Amino acid sequence: MAIIEAADLRKVFRRIVRRPGIGGAVRALFSREYEDKIAVDGVNFTLAEGELVGYLGPNGAGKSTTIKILTGILVPTSGSVRVAGIVPYQRRQENAENIGVVFGQRSQLYWDLPLRESFELLRAIYDVPRNRYLENLAHFSAILDLERFLDTPVRQLSLGERMRGDFAAAMLHDPKIVYLDEPTIGLDVVAKEAIREFITRVNRERGTTVILTTHDLADVERLTPRVILIDEGRVIFDGALQRLRTEYGTHRTLVVTFAEAPTNIDVPGTEIESREGLVVRLRFDRRKLSAEAIIRRVMERYPISDVSIIEPDIDTIVRRIYVEGYQHGAVGAPS
Amino acid sequence: MRWRRMAGVYRQYWRINILTTLEYRENFVVWFAFTFVYHGSSIAALWIVLSRFPSMNGWSFRDMAFLYALWMVAHALHNTLFSTVGEVPDHIRNGEFDRLLVRPLDTLFQAIATPGQVFPDELVLAIVTFVAATIYAGVHVDAMFLTFIPLIFIGGALIDLGINLIISTAAFWFVKVDALRWIFVQLEQEFTRYPVTIYTRGVRFVLTFVFPFAFMNYFPARYFLHKGMSGLGLPPVAGLLTPAIGIVFVALAYVFWRFGLNRYQGVGH
Ligand SMILES: Nc1ncnc2c1ncn2[C@@H]1O[C@H](COP(=O)(O)OP(=O)(O)O)[C@@H](O)[C@H]1O
Ligand SMILES: [Mg+2]
Repeated sequence: MAIIEAADLRKVFRRIVRRPGIGGAVRALFSREYEDKIAVDGVNFTLAEGELVGYLGPNGAGKSTTIKILTGILVPTSGSVRVAGIVPYQRRQENAENIGVVFGQRSQLYWDLPLRESFELLRAIYDVPRNRYLENLAHFSAILDLERFLDTPVRQLSLGERMRGDFAAAMLHDPKIVYLDEPTIGLDVVAKEAIREFITRVNRERGTTVILTTHDLADVERLTPRVILIDEGRVIFDGALQRLRTEYGTHRTLVVTFAEAPTNIDVPGTEIESREGLVVRLRFDRRKLSAEAIIRRVMERYPISDVSIIEPDIDTIVRRIYVEGYQHGAVGAPS
Repeated sequence: MRWRRMAGVYRQYWRINILTTLEYRENFVVWFAFTFVYHGSSIAALWIVLSRFPSMNGWSFRDMAFLYALWMVAHALHNTLFSTVGEVPDHIRNGEFDRLLVRPLDTLFQAIATPGQVFPDELVLAIVTFVAATIYAGVHVDAMFLTFIPLIFIGGALIDLGINLIISTAAFWFVKVDALRWIFVQLEQEFTRYPVTIYTRGVRFVLTFVFPFAFMNYFPARYFLHKGMSGLGLPPVAGLLTPAIGIVFVALAYVFWRFGLNRYQGVGH
């Protein structure tokens, strides 16, 4: 059963055109010019209850704007949206009962207070029965290891600890759906791991529907079988992560540092992506050649001092879908 | 159901305020001392100005002390209960405001119940001052007085809330509203200090019907001090209307707030 339905969602922001310098600022006082920024441009998708989905895209792609429409913060310019049967912006408070939200850069915890006090306030806001609250608190404490710092003022917590607190805070009222907007940004590996574990368990054990936005491919690799990829406000891929990988993440980049400047570089099976002094980036298709074979070919031909391999990031994949995606005929076809 | 929940949140909110204030005890002591020095010096400055005039439009210094103390309590009550509404523009700017929109309670209620470091020290000082001024001015204290004065304080605090809310709502259009707020703070201090009869008709009209500061203290003081002559042709009993004026003014400000909120959410655009 679909719990989230978004059809033809569009959001256009009108913003004032700012001109540089004092002259520009003075002119703006008298005549304002506006420009329209299309942040979300006809987005379609549906989510089944209990799904865990990665909403992926480069910075500025429109991820946060989509989340803000789904949560009821923003009213879409056009299109329709339903979350658990409710149009979020029309019945915002009712919708709020069903959802939990984590904004990666913005904590909802109270800086000066022990973590526990923020939880108490949230208990009151969502009117969570005390028994249920204590049960949830105990459960989340166990998974996220909160016990150690429940009574520490939030301002004294590390980013990772605070983030764990924020996750528990978003889940205390048993929301049906959680929106996680770049929740792992800036976290160290250990904290990321704890949080990924938490997301998986909440989704599996409680059947909570989860949308996770990120521009970090590693987040979704561990977590979400399905990804929705967006760029410039449009869905450019919707499907299994595996398919995204095999179809578009086929190229790797080999970064070679030469021991001495080579006169002309020619390694069969690769093309030169860029060259800066002794450092040359070579692109190759891993379906055709293994990394090992490429490295051997390079070493046979040139004296080198270092090599490394770069996995494709989101930006690279997005670029590839634009260049080649339409030929594959596998683009933007939501199932 | 909603109301019960709001009451629960409000109780937690005050618990947190008090905990936070105590957490920063040194700061709290300094702040408490500052409150006393600040208000003490305002009263002294006023006294210096006023003691040079035996009376102003028929108001003696004793009358003016009562006038000032009335405003002081209403204003302190506002600062204690509603000052967090003034932080909304900051929250809009840094994005924290979105949080209020994903919670199942009214946004204005949440803005009011945003925990911080609020403590009723200013209110306590204001009430002490008010009691002294009442005795000093020789106001007749009867059942009528005791019934209406608390309501007048609440009405006055609501008038202040209305102003605060209107200014904060402006932040949905303008990034910074500090200048606007500063202007209103100055105007309020200036125009609540003296009987409004010393101002021109235009100013009196604005203080009565547009930004009704005159209902915070002038009209009630006129009533309780039995000053017969009138401001704008309103009978003395208008001094008891403050609670109603406060409610209406806040209601209008709330309508404006909802309008601003719609704009923030991008309705019709
Ligand atoms: N309130 C706003 N006013 C004007 N432009 C905005 C506003 N919010 C976002 N944008 C613009 O919309 C685009 C999408 O933003 P966003 O949804 O935050 O992207 P993402 O979260 O994918 O990084 C960006 O170009 C951003 O600058
Ligand atoms: Mg974002």
